[in-house]
Amino acid sequence: MPKCTINGHEVEVKEGATIMEAFYKLNEGIAHYCYHPGLSVAGVCRLCIVDIEGNPRPQIACNTVVTEGMKVTNQAEKIKDGVKWVLDFHLINHPLDCPVCDQAGECGLQDQYMQFGKYSSEMAEPKVKKHKVVDLGPTVVLDSERCILCSRCVRFTDEVSKTNELGLFNRGDRTEVGTFDGKPLDNNYSLNTVDICPVGALTSKDFRFRQRVWYLKDSETLCTGCSTGCNVKVYYNKEGAFRVKPVYNEKVNGHWMCDEGRGIYKFVNREHRLLKGRMKQKGQSTWTDMDAGALAKEAYQVIKSAGEKLAIILTGQYSTHEYQILLKNLPTKNVFHWQNQAEKWNEFDGLLLRGDRNPNTKGVELAMNASGIKTDWNDLISGIKSGAIQTVFVAGPENMAVYEDMKEKIQSLGSVQNIIWTTACKSEDFEKLTNNVWLVPMKSYLEKEGSFINNQGLEQKFKKATTIVSEALTLAEASYLVSGQNIPIIKMEAVDTFIDASRRPDQVTLEHRKKNEFVYKRGSL
Amino acid sequence: MSEVKYLTEFYHLNEFQGLEGYKKNGGYVQLERAFKMKPEEITEEVKKSGLRGRGGAGFATGVKWGFLPKNGEPRYLLCNADEGEPGTFKDRMMMERAPHQLIEGMIISAYAIGAKKSYIYIRGEYDYPIACVVKAIKEAYAAGLLGKNILGSGFDHEMDVYAGAGAYICGEETGMISSLEGLKGQPKLKPPFPAIQGYLKKPTIVNNVETLAAVKYIIRDGAQGFRKYGTEKSAGSKLFSLSGNIVKPGNYEVPLGYSLKDMIFNLGGGMKPGRKLKAVIPGGSSAPVLNAEEVDRATLDYECLASMGTMLGSGAIIVIDDSQCMVDMLGVLTHFYHHESCGQCTPCREGTGWLNKIVHSILEGRGRLQDIDLLLKVADNMKGRTICALSDAAALPVLSFVSKFRDEFEFFVREGRSKVKGTNYAQMHH
Ligand SMILES: Cc1cc2nc3c(=O)[nH]c(=O)nc-3n(C[C@H](O)[C@H](O)[C@H](O)COP(=O)(O)O)c2cc1C
Ligand code: SF4
Ligand code: SF4
Ligand code: FES
Repeated sequence: MPKCTINGHEVEVKEGATIMEAFYKLNEGIAHYCYHPGLSVAGVCRLCIVDIEGNPRPQIACNTVVTEGMKVTNQAEKIKDGVKWVLDFHLINHPLDCPVCDQAGECGLQDQYMQFGKYSSEMAEPKVKKHKVVDLGPTVVLDSERCILCSRCVRFTDEVSKTNELGLFNRGDRTEVGTFDGKPLDNNYSLNTVDICPVGALTSKDFRFRQRVWYLKDSETLCTGCSTGCNVKVYYNKEGAFRVKPVYNEKVNGHWMCDEGRGIYKFVNREHRLLKGRMKQKGQSTWTDMDAGALAKEAYQVIKSAGEKLAIILTGQYSTHEYQILLKNLPTKNVFHWQNQAEKWNEFDGLLLRGDRNPNTKGVELAMNASGIKTDWNDLISGIKSGAIQTVFVAGPENMAVYEDMKEKIQSLGSVQNIIWTTACKSEDFEKLTNNVWLVPMKSYLEKEGSFINNQGLEQKFKKATTIVSEALTLAEASYLVSGQNIPIIKMEAVDTFIDASRRPDQVTLEHRKKNEFVYKRGSL
Repeated sequence: MSEVKYLTEFYHLNEFQGLEGYKKNGGYVQLERAFKMKPEEITEEVKKSGLRGRGGAGFATGVKWGFLPKNGEPRYLLCNADEGEPGTFKDRMMMERAPHQLIEGMIISAYAIGAKKSYIYIRGEYDYPIACVVKAIKEAYAAGLLGKNILGSGFDHEMDVYAGAGAYICGEETGMISSLEGLKGQPKLKPPFPAIQGYLKKPTIVNNVETLAAVKYIIRDGAQGFRKYGTEKSAGSKLFSLSGNIVKPGNYEVPLGYSLKDMIFNLGGGMKPGRKLKAVIPGGSSAPVLNAEEVDRATLDYECLASMGTMLGSGAIIVIDDSQCMVDMLGVLTHFYHHESCGQCTPCREGTGWLNKIVHSILEGRGRLQDIDLLLKVADNMKGRTICALSDAAALPVLSFVSKFRDEFEFFVREGRSKVKGTNYAQMHH
């Protein structure tokens, strides 16, 4: 393990580690664009120059291996001056359109320029014109003038997604990122290119022009999109949640996440949510809205009278301790695991996405095993048929988009008398229920804390970010109420922090945008 | 002292182009001798001969071969015949007049480094040289000089020609490797160096046509014999491509250390009538320019030119007389480097374009006095900061043109026209 000195601080690094890695380890500032810890070294931006004692020429930190006793600095005047110039080279042809650029506020170019820049540009020549608003594929738009040609996006599609859609076309300062003819950037990891693009050259079609990033808060949580459990950040403000980005976790997802998982912010917004408790009598078609807590208490009567004839259905969409509390509060052996598309559960795309689109299947299994429960879905069906099961409590899915068998399952509950269904979101499918139904509004994963056990058996905690539907309960809270207990843990917040979708300005801009966006196809100029 | 005929001894004979004529004049005898030596002995001899790369960088050939890992197959020998450096046309003549000389040198070198496969990467525009080399390779295969068990030595070697597609950057050795691999012709980040990880990530040696051809003569005359010409640090003779405002442009072989003035005024026949020497680019367009006073003192060897802040490069001597406008000439060079930068490294990609725009702004009468210093600053910050030397190659002419002929630049900015030609860019070119 060689030791070296970086700006006067000694640090020991792994054999073969680069100077860049030593800077990272010390958390010492160093300008860089093309280096990304999840990709191969390109060494093209030439920003990370450092002075190594005894070496007459500045070297790049990202491609220089640390040797024992090496003395490195990026604080020498000639290095600082060099970095300024390289930044200036990056900017001479940059459009400087920060006011209309989505990246503004989290842009590598802005950040590094504030820190290391030369401030006064000496460029008096006309800038190079390149393609703008290039439609790279279903998810990403490119602005070539903003691109600093760091090649991260190209390396990503070569090395990580291994889909090879992107390339650098042409030479010199005419170089542009592009796709090979007839092959769009279209893979389930494409939006990672937007994350790693240090500037606003690649923007996400889903996110662009919807929010200025400085109006967003972020909160670290877990992706609920599948059983991998990628670590993510959700970005939100009072108008709703707007995007999800991956957070590095060596053990789980590295630097990346899939595009499908980035959709998990959508269903938490108010327009998709069940805002009130609702109930409906058998045979009726109108619902009565009710306070969630009152509804749960009413459901207690039904559960009490069901006695032995109660069954519980669990989906892998709640946190581990919620299942445990539920099974403790409603002690029955009639617990069934709703396995949506179970035949696909062993599928794996080789990178992150797993066929089991539940974040906590292992949590369900753990809770059921702990109570010594072994059941089969068919037992539930026959129980309902024979009348042995009269009332079911369904811990329903939160992300209903991945429950393709929703209708089928609702049908199979056909003749049961009472259904108490906890759900975070609304669904037309509930209209098909012909039983006595109680719909209990649930908090989404953003509104509570807990843990999920992922596919590898790793238990990961997540924390509460915000409140979106103030009335909603957690599954644990609901289970106390439906089992007739009064619990102090319910602490409702007086005001919802999210406002309704109809009042969101982005509804206007979305429409506006569709009308006005002018998209070039590559080669159309 | 005058021209020598060492490498070019038989170049006047048409028959030297074909296998038969080549053999008649001593061809492939050295190959047989080389096969009697151990590969390490050849490398050692090349080291002792002091042969330095003739492609531009002047790196000691034997030392470069020594960087290869001791064992391990496969490994490759690549001959750099891209000859893209403006002003250079010597490799072309060597391939046209004596393709077997190159092939023999290459088989010997390949044997020395243990390469069973070699490619000759020839500039795509060189139709005729390509045809000559392809024909010679076919002859060599037919005569058992290539292929399996060459001349009963037990050494196998395959050789192929690859035609480039017209990019200057594919003459840079790792750019060439990328191009051969079927990738976009752009240089690779070093380390690893090609000797460790080159073509197809295998150990690879890249040498210029003239370098490889010279190896044969080291076998023939031994290291000491090879040193008959040249200086201590610049051993041997070398071909120079003389061009520009000169009476007798052409390729001339002289011992290294030869006087630049003699080259121009004796071999080259001097300046055109009524013209005076103003400047000389001594080593291809990337080499800093010398003014007339410096030309007087310069000798054609690596060390003298380096001490004068320029380089021997590829041996392309471009002579500039007093009818030429230095601003206009620099415009040609900045245009070239802007066009040829591969665009990976920011300082080179952006800097080449910026320099070109500034020079053309001056040429088109939009120049500001501060642009002259700006040229120096931009060029200065492009040097020594990039993956390959193209960025330096683009910066060096700018630095030397502006600092040595500043008056012409200032005049152009002030008057909006050339000090020499009296006209502006539009009038000069249309
Ligand atoms: C931009 C650039 C262009 C080059 N073009 C050529 C070329 O056309 N022919 C050549 O032999 N070397 C060229 N070189 C030098 C090669 O990189 C390399 O040093 C040379 O082929 C090594 O062979 P040598 O040691 O026999 O000279 C070029 C270098 C640079 C940086
Ligand atoms: S689009 Fe972004 S990530 Fe891709 S090369 Fe340009 S700046 Fe880098
Ligand atoms: S210095 Fe210029 S030509 Fe060489 S690799 Fe970098 S960008 Fe390409
Ligand atoms: S980070 Fe090292 S060259 Fe870009």
